[in-house]
Amino acid sequence: MEQLLAVWVESLAIEQPDGSTLRNTVALADALEMMCPFTEVVRLGLYVMPLRGPSRFFGGDDAVLRMVRQCVLDVVGVEAKLGVAEGLFCAELAAHREVLVPRGASDAFRRAQPLEVLGRKDLATTCQRLGLHTLGAFADLEPARVAERFNQHALVLHRVARGELTELESQRDRRLGHRLAQLRGDTDLFEEQQGFFGQRGAEDDRAEAAAHRVRRRLGAEAIVVANLHGGRGPEDRATLVPWGSPAAVVRDHAPWPGRLAAPSPATTLARLVPLQLRDEANRPVVLSARGVLSATPAAVIFSSPLRREIVWFAGPWPLVERWWSRHRRRAHLQMVLASGEALLVVAESSRWWLVGIYD
Amino acid sequence: MRPVSLAKSRTVPLGDPWRALVPDGALRRGSTVVVEAPIGLGGLSLALSLLSEASTNGHWAAVVGVDDPGVVAMVELGVDLRRVLFVPRPRGAWAESAADLLDGVDLVLVRPPSRPGHGSARRLMDRVRERGTVLIALSEPRAPWPLPADLFFRVTQAEWITSSRLDARYLTVHVSGRGELARGAEHVVVVPNRRGAAEAR
Repeated sequence: MEQLLAVWVESLAIEQPDGSTLRNTVALADALEMMCPFTEVVRLGLYVMPLRGPSRFFGGDDAVLRMVRQCVLDVVGVEAKLGVAEGLFCAELAAHREVLVPRGASDAFRRAQPLEVLGRKDLATTCQRLGLHTLGAFADLEPARVAERFNQHALVLHRVARGELTELESQRDRRLGHRLAQLRGDTDLFEEQQGFFGQRGAEDDRAEAAAHRVRRRLGAEAIVVANLHGGRGPEDRATLVPWGSPAAVVRDHAPWPGRLAAPSPATTLARLVPLQLRDEANRPVVLSARGVLSATPAAVIFSSPLRREIVWFAGPWPLVERWWSRHRRRAHLQMVLASGEALLVVAESSRWWLVGIYD
Repeated sequence: MRPVSLAKSRTVPLGDPWRALVPDGALRRGSTVVVEAPIGLGGLSLALSLLSEASTNGHWAAVVGVDDPGVVAMVELGVDLRRVLFVPRPRGAWAESAADLLDGVDLVLVRPPSRPGHGSARRLMDRVRERGTVLIALSEPRAPWPLPADLFFRVTQAEWITSSRLDARYLTVHVSGRGELARGAEHVVVVPNRRGAAEAR
């Protein structure tokens, strides 16, 4: 796994209401990107870059560390905490502790950490009662034992502790990228959204003015444009991004292996809705690890007691997206209900979710 | 001034299969189109398909109050996403947002979150007439659009054609309106077909 250099700038971690935090974050990101174009702002205060490339270019790890330290000092005027380790989770810990974990030693480093680093007090307390004090001790529990004692969320943390996942979801601020781009003034979206021949017409100006009015009325997130990219299910292929943010509209003509065929659902949920499938005898239908249904689904049950009969279904079509990672095994299922509605559902980690409605 | 170009500028183009079913084969500027369908039976697909030809011809469109638009489905229907603005959750301000957008785009598709009031519908339709744009209102039979429309698509039946997957949906649509369409007629169209597009049967 790749060694990452994590840069922790405490003074940028908490956003000031005057906007200075974001401005400094952008300034530092620009400066670090001059050194390594793969620099990433993970969240406010935390930057990472792969170490190998810059190290070769600048003549060694020490040279890179020195330059990064100086860079933060120049741009923000404070000392940064630097750390090197493999994977984002370990790299951030290394930065907080200011250690450079040698290549191949990240496993041992992670296992020696206290349980609090997972960010869940309840889990840490319970484990301490069981006599488990380090991530290593927690990692050595069988996943099945963890599953019976804790909830689904703890299983994810367990996989982080075992090194099967290299980062915690809470480490990243997924909205930060858009905000920084907006601040940079990368409002090129309309440039990309103009006509086929690059001519910006009066129509485009009128639309832009109207979009501004809606934004003033409802806020920056209220008016969005669609962004298409690669992916298998319709739920992966599209995102709605705030109007005026820099993400380009990508035309997605390339065939994507294993993509779900047209037609796609006219309603595609941004947040998947959990549901249950039941067979004739009202037993839950599950998807086996081999992608086979345990029984023919006869009804779908949403969170309410409402039970709706399935008159036809097709699938499951498995989507083994990252074959090396077991947790992202998914399968799609299409169904038509007795009421005439058609649904697209997906099974993931033995649960069912509503993805779309052929509305 | 050539009458042909004048006539053209008074309408917004409409794609298949709709152009064969309405007068002039296009949507008249200043008109209100109502699409009414029981929930889940193809109303949204139908309404989105009305945007396709216009958006590929350089007209801007906006979609207001459709919480989770199926963007991939829109591409399959032929909509050019580069000229579509979305206001997925206008909260209480669906009519105001739609009115704002009517000043700037040629087509506004709106799905009111609840039963639309007489007043807001009237104001929107007046605004449409004044601005020379097109309003497409998506409604359900139990919460109908409160005023008569210039063009009215009512889905009466939806039937899925299936093989090893969902193949196509036959929608029975009653098309009525003012003038020559006063009597109305029932048509069966395919929305979506195997490629996700709309077509005549």
